[in-house]
Amino acid sequence: MAEPAYTVTSDSETNGEEKSSSAFPETAIGIDIGTSQCSIAVWNGSQVELLKNTRNQKIMRSYVTFKDETPSGGVSNQLSHEHEIFSGAAIFNMKRLIGRVDTDPVVHASKSLPFLVQTLDIGVRPFIAALVNNVWRSTTPEEVLAIFLVELRAMAEVRLKRPIRNVVLTLPVSFSRFQLTRIERCCAMAGLHVLRLMPEPTAVALLYAQQQQQTVHENMGSGSEQIALIFNMGAGYCDVAVTATAGGVSQIKSLSGSAIGGEDILQNMMRHLLPNSESLFLKHGISEIKSMALLRVAAQDAIHKLSSQPSVQVDVDLGNGSKICKVVDREEFEEVNQKVFEKCESLIIQCMQDAKVEAEDLSDVILVGGCSYIPKIRNLVMGICKTQDISMGMNPLEAAVCGAALEGAVASGISDPFGNLDLLTIQATPMSIGIQADGKTFVPIIQRNTTIPARKELVFTTVHDNQTEALIVVYEGDEKKLEENNLLGYFKIGIPPAPKGIPEINVCMDIDASNVLRVLAGVIMPGTPHPVTPLMEVRMPTIDDGHGWCAEALHRAYGSTRDLVTVQKKI
Amino acid sequence: MRCHGMVSGSDSRFYLCTKPTFFTTRSIPDSSYFRVPLNIQPPKPVSSTRPRVVPLKAKATIADGFVTEATEMSFYELLGIPESVSLPEIKQAYKQQARKYHPDVSPPDRVEEYTRRFIMVQEAYETLSDPSRRALYDRDMARGLHLAFSARKRYQDDEGMEYRSEWKNRWQSQLSELKRRSMNKSSRGNMSWGARMRRQMNDSSAEL
Repeated sequence: MAEPAYTVTSDSETNGEEKSSSAFPETAIGIDIGTSQCSIAVWNGSQVELLKNTRNQKIMRSYVTFKDETPSGGVSNQLSHEHEIFSGAAIFNMKRLIGRVDTDPVVHASKSLPFLVQTLDIGVRPFIAALVNNVWRSTTPEEVLAIFLVELRAMAEVRLKRPIRNVVLTLPVSFSRFQLTRIERCCAMAGLHVLRLMPEPTAVALLYAQQQQQTVHENMGSGSEQIALIFNMGAGYCDVAVTATAGGVSQIKSLSGSAIGGEDILQNMMRHLLPNSESLFLKHGISEIKSMALLRVAAQDAIHKLSSQPSVQVDVDLGNGSKICKVVDREEFEEVNQKVFEKCESLIIQCMQDAKVEAEDLSDVILVGGCSYIPKIRNLVMGICKTQDISMGMNPLEAAVCGAALEGAVASGISDPFGNLDLLTIQATPMSIGIQADGKTFVPIIQRNTTIPARKELVFTTVHDNQTEALIVVYEGDEKKLEENNLLGYFKIGIPPAPKGIPEINVCMDIDASNVLRVLAGVIMPGTPHPVTPLMEVRMPTIDDGHGWCAEALHRAYGSTRDLVTVQKKI
Repeated sequence: MRCHGMVSGSDSRFYLCTKPTFFTTRSIPDSSYFRVPLNIQPPKPVSSTRPRVVPLKAKATIADGFVTEATEMSFYELLGIPESVSLPEIKQAYKQQARKYHPDVSPPDRVEEYTRRFIMVQEAYETLSDPSRRALYDRDMARGLHLAFSARKRYQDDEGMEYRSEWKNRWQSQLSELKRRSMNKSSRGNMSWGARMRRQMNDSSAEL
């Protein structure tokens, strides 16, 4: 393919030289890897275009099946029937497993999936396996995702007739920084370079900013600031964002998210249809998997139907002698999923509180993701936001990937003569980041929803006389209990002997625009203007696996001998 | 919100750290990062006439000039607005400045400078877009700031209670000390608010 037209456009800009020497001369593609579905989009020079696979699908199922010697994923694979995904040979829901340890409740909930998820409950990576010729063949969530990404990449390369290297991925708000590194590793395994990892609702916010700007252009409007709430709920995760948008700039004011989604709704439904289903299926024999698949398909089907009709007749023969014949109405459905819906509400309320906005301040409410079709979800969003109008003219399944493609074009330095890419996202950190101090307390240094890039610092001091070292243990999260937050890493810093409370240990957290976190620490002694030892600069996360027990091991080894307490910053 | 006091440090330090950071994307000058994390200003984008290839020395000179200018800037000047503007105008100005200085729109070799400038713009916006913080800032500016507590600091004291109530006592024990210090440097001549703040922060930390 000849040089695409857009490079000509960008070369005519003043900084053409910088562009041509840039490491990213191609337009990055946007990928939305969903828990259950996946899509790719790219800026084609004038607009965003979703890429279709050979079966003409824009939205593909996210799974990899290990049926034959070579695994094949949902991009290229032709399924004879939905049941095939649930035969034990296919691994799916990777996004709910990746970067999680076997003590994580989300991993435990995945044990009822029709492939093998084994946990030892000691805080290590779970063991997962696919059934191949009656043998459980082990794999890892990272490997499965990488195989899937390789397929996606190959498909995009065929469609675009050029090599693909740079990508913008959308991810759940609640992903820890450790999980983000896992995603980056998967991409690297698939030969992809991650230009940006965007929280899903912020990608939707960018699309909204572009649509809004187009409307302003057409109406010659004032372009004043619009506050929008974006609610995005897919199979694995629920995310909320509040964005303030004007002139193509989308400023993320707050984010909230949790690992709840359609999968939880589905499992609740399965439990409702067959109360002892979980214990029944834990055996993971061939016949149990078959029954599990049948139940899963029936429950899924019922949920879909309940979005458009008040009740549904479920009739399924599980093949093991048990038959389900049940009428489920919407009320029952909403009751068994009450906790899920309550969590959704609390995420919206928290996000609005963090953004300091009231329902009346919202210009638009945008509802996207697969679960946005569920009437109860629509009602609860409309109720909290006090609006009847939640249809933004956005495709609920395509909004995030379109936003990612826009960001991909913007981040690649592509410009559009009509100003359709004059866009900017000002991101915020979804979680607080801080260290352990004041006993076993989490002391945030960067608060959640701080605009990034950001740099914040806090001064600490020693708790013992002649304490010669301090342990800087970095966490991310907003849980009150220290150990319920995500451990990102730890390091020691040396301190000259001095009475307790005298040395000033300055801990600085720096997040750059690419969302890279660096923790800097230095020691200042009274009377000396400069740090007494070289500063420490540590890129986080440093831990190699999401091991909460590292913190326990540190505590066993050191007790409180290397602890810190906060100090009021001297003015 | 606590660590707003980052615009600090003396002017001399500022020059010290200009050169290393100008050409590296990540270096943090040892001697100055504690008190001068934000002092390296990007030069104002000199519109389309900005030379593509500038000898290193010339570039540094340009930067020095703009830095001196930017360190003297008030929050209003950082956002490029007069002091009389309304909230919607502040929001608009912030987005305009973000389009100018957000590292995503920076030339590849100047991400570091743009990042620092953007963080300053962000701080200015966060202060001025909050009516109570803006009022305190305006009052301090009008008074020529004779108190050790800047608008920002006072704001933090109030806001911090939510999650730092256990620190309150510790804070209060240091109040008297801070007040004592502030008495010693109430006369600062005709410096700008920003310069005065930086001087104060620097002086008091040197006293330790």
